[in-house]
Amino acid sequence: MLPENLTAIVARNETWTGACATEPYEAGWAKEAIVFVRALKTPKGPLPKARIELSADGMHWVPEGSEFDLPAGENAVTFQRLSHFGNFIRVAASLPPGSEITLLVALHLKA
Amino acid sequence: MTQLDDMRRALREADPRLSRFDPLPRIICLDDFDRGMCGWTQLVGNYEHSLDAMLPGYAQHSHAMLSTLPNWDFGSHGGVDGSYALKIATRPRKGAQNVAIKRLTFRKAGPIRIETYFTFKPEATALELSETDIRSFGFLYDLQVGDQHGAGGERVMPHLRFLNAENGVHLQKWQFKRKTTPIQPIGTAGKTITHYHLSPDDWEDLPGGGQRLCYNEIPTKVNWHYLRFDFDLASMQATGFQVNDRVFDLGSYEPIRIPAMKNLWCMLNIGFFAETDTDKRAFAYLDSVCLSGDF
Repeated sequence: MLPENLTAIVARNETWTGACATEPYEAGWAKEAIVFVRALKTPKGPLPKARIELSADGMHWVPEGSEFDLPAGENAVTFQRLSHFGNFIRVAASLPPGSEITLLVALHLKA
Repeated sequence: MTQLDDMRRALREADPRLSRFDPLPRIICLDDFDRGMCGWTQLVGNYEHSLDAMLPGYAQHSHAMLSTLPNWDFGSHGGVDGSYALKIATRPRKGAQNVAIKRLTFRKAGPIRIETYFTFKPEATALELSETDIRSFGFLYDLQVGDQHGAGGERVMPHLRFLNAENGVHLQKWQFKRKTTPIQPIGTAGKTITHYHLSPDDWEDLPGGGQRLCYNEIPTKVNWHYLRFDFDLASMQATGFQVNDRVFDLGSYEPIRIPAMKNLWCMLNIGFFAETDTDKRAFAYLDSVCLSGDF
């Protein structure tokens, strides 16, 4: 059987302001991941880096160390490759006051 | 019982993957989530031109996941006979729902049977039993007659949920619904509509449908439950419902019935859902699902 391969949309048309994160996603079966982030509308204000966070239990989170740009314009896409991430993963960002981005976030996972 | 029935039964009972199910003669799918997602995906709401057109009830949905039921206090729980189960997780907001769906069509309008081993638990953010944090676990079919049915054809949506708790009251009873929300057009092309069949309104108690399910004694331990629901696609009537050792009377059961839609002929969709009653994520888990039919 071919190895499992999954595209999971973990945030769809969500507008992020302030401190935000995608919902916890269990991916322990996967050896690698790419996180794709697409802006569905023109973002407002300066955008911080997004970061990958890991968790042992889906409740207590730590930064994985990877940071990547949030997409700067409508339909722009950014991504981050990931490996060796345990089980729970999420994308998080802390937007400064007045900044806003509406996102589509996809996890592409491979066993 | 024919010789074929006897042989089929013997073969199935000798197969550990199948002997815990009682399928009808033809197995449409046997989804063991140790093999992956098995065609279960996210129920996305309808839209046209912009995702902003999606009803909020659907916009909150996210993708189901393959889970080992990991817990902060003792680690992975695992499934009935393997490491993985399908996990349906709500957002941490009172009333939030999430749905996992499988989309098929049928080849004969006859009896079908869905069986699953399921469990549910809230996110263990508190060191308390939390037995009233989950509002419900439930399932639905989304069905429509074939394109040759003629006038009066219907789209039929049988729903059942285990109402575990509401507003902190532990209710533990099965409910059904026969009403959906008014149908609303989506976009401008006249091709798409929407309605919110999982709205919290219009659930009715299934007579005799009280059931105390094993929940275990701390917020992280789960026990798996067996569920079977029988439906006849010819009469579009429910014919059987069992959970663990209880067989329920469906004499007053009715599904949602709405006029057939112009592009859903022979549809056979199955969905499972979870709802939370607190600002805490609700997790519903399916170890495996067996859909079978008599054709």
